Amino acid sequence: MCLGIPMQVVAIDGFNAECEARGVKRNVSLFMIGENEVEVCDYVMVHVGYALRKMTPEDARLSWELFDEILAVAGE
Amino acid sequence: MKEDFTAAKGWLERIGELPIAHPVAVMNVCGGHERSLTQLGLRGVLPPNVKLISGPGCPVCVCPEEDLADAIALALTGDVTLVAFGDMLRVPINAAKGEVRSLAEARAKGADIRPISAPQEAVALAASNPARPVVFFAAGFETTTAPVAAMLAQGVPENLSVLLAARLTWPAVDMLLASGDAALDALIAPGHVAAVMGASEWGFIPERYHLPVAVAGFSANSLLAALYSVLRQKLAGKPFLDNCYAELVAPEGNLRAQALLAEVMEVTDANWRGIGVVPRSGFALRGEWKRFDARARFEFSALPRRRAGEMPPGCDCAAVVLGKKQPDQCRLYGTACTPQNPVGPCMVSDEGACHIWWQGGTRAAA
Repeated sequence: MCLGIPMQVVAIDGFNAECEARGVKRNVSLFMIGENEVEVCDYVMVHVGYALRKMTPEDARLSWELFDEILAVAGE
Repeated sequence: MKEDFTAAKGWLERIGELPIAHPVAVMNVCGGHERSLTQLGLRGVLPPNVKLISGPGCPVCVCPEEDLADAIALALTGDVTLVAFGDMLRVPINAAKGEVRSLAEARAKGADIRPISAPQEAVALAASNPARPVVFFAAGFETTTAPVAAMLAQGVPENLSVLLAARLTWPAVDMLLASGDAALDALIAPGHVAAVMGASEWGFIPERYHLPVAVAGFSANSLLAALYSVLRQKLAGKPFLDNCYAELVAPEGNLRAQALLAEVMEVTDANWRGIGVVPRSGFALRGEWKRFDARARFEFSALPRRRAGEMPPGCDCAAVVLGKKQPDQCRLYGTACTPQNPVGPCMVSDEGACHIWWQGGTRAAA
């Protein structure tokens, strides 16, 4: 549940954002950070469908590398 | 992972150079941390005197049996659609032979129970079936509870209600340290809980208990940086609150999320399964949001339960949650209790230490 997933904002409509990570798109609520805090192309850390905080592209990339590692181990 | 590993290797070397003459027990209180530590194999590469302990980091594991029994009973009436995070469905409760022991079993008997992965799915489901009561059974720590508060504050259909089993992380750590029987020397604080509630929430550990603490993220780099920090603090005898996840965690946290929590919920004493009541560690809906409380809308049976609040017989989940036992020190681990056939909640949840250790390759008791 506490597993956060970094996603990139693709489109924003009020508090609703369409976000994408590795080709998978999800609706993400911006209600916890505010609709004016992020713009299209920004990265956010997403928890249970809610953006928790904006993050840098660099941090998003590093987080994804961690996921790849864990998923690779878990998939063995 | 290459870049992270290069940085992580540097931290490992620095940790290896520390003069750690006596064993140091470092506790994490986050299932995500435990997963990273285990899957990255960090226990195997640290100096032998550094002992990593998994603490209270699994909300599903401490969800009271009474709440689970209520959710099962409500779903079995057939009058509602019950939604819950997928982890909750297979958590077993103590029940007489032949009785329903989990939400998954209730579902198999025809109860309308659906796993969800986000609060918005509960809203969408309720909106598309306005005549059908939908109950969101919501267990979780602050990272999940703040979104539940946000969901309610933003507005939900009238047919949606919440059966809340939410918990705060730090009060359990506070209780554990105050009890004096916690064999730990330092703490790694949970990165995403801190992103919501603020790093400063963990300042009580050095201030009140004179123990080192560092907020960590989930990469090898961030976890090892935090580990190095607390070991250095321990050796120097100068504990303080360090933040090794500053890219996501501000000292004050996410103020908007905290305001939503404070608006929709109030902090209450709460029961932790197998542990007992932890003061000021739970949430209840407050003010105008009380009407969305499932407990106010439905009759819950007042049947006394013989072993209310306890873990199943022989199960050491409570000791594992409190870091008093490692998962493979439970006598059921890997024999009577496996992910395919779990006895206790720690073997069910993705954030349960037993489940994480099993996935990490530990397949038998020590």
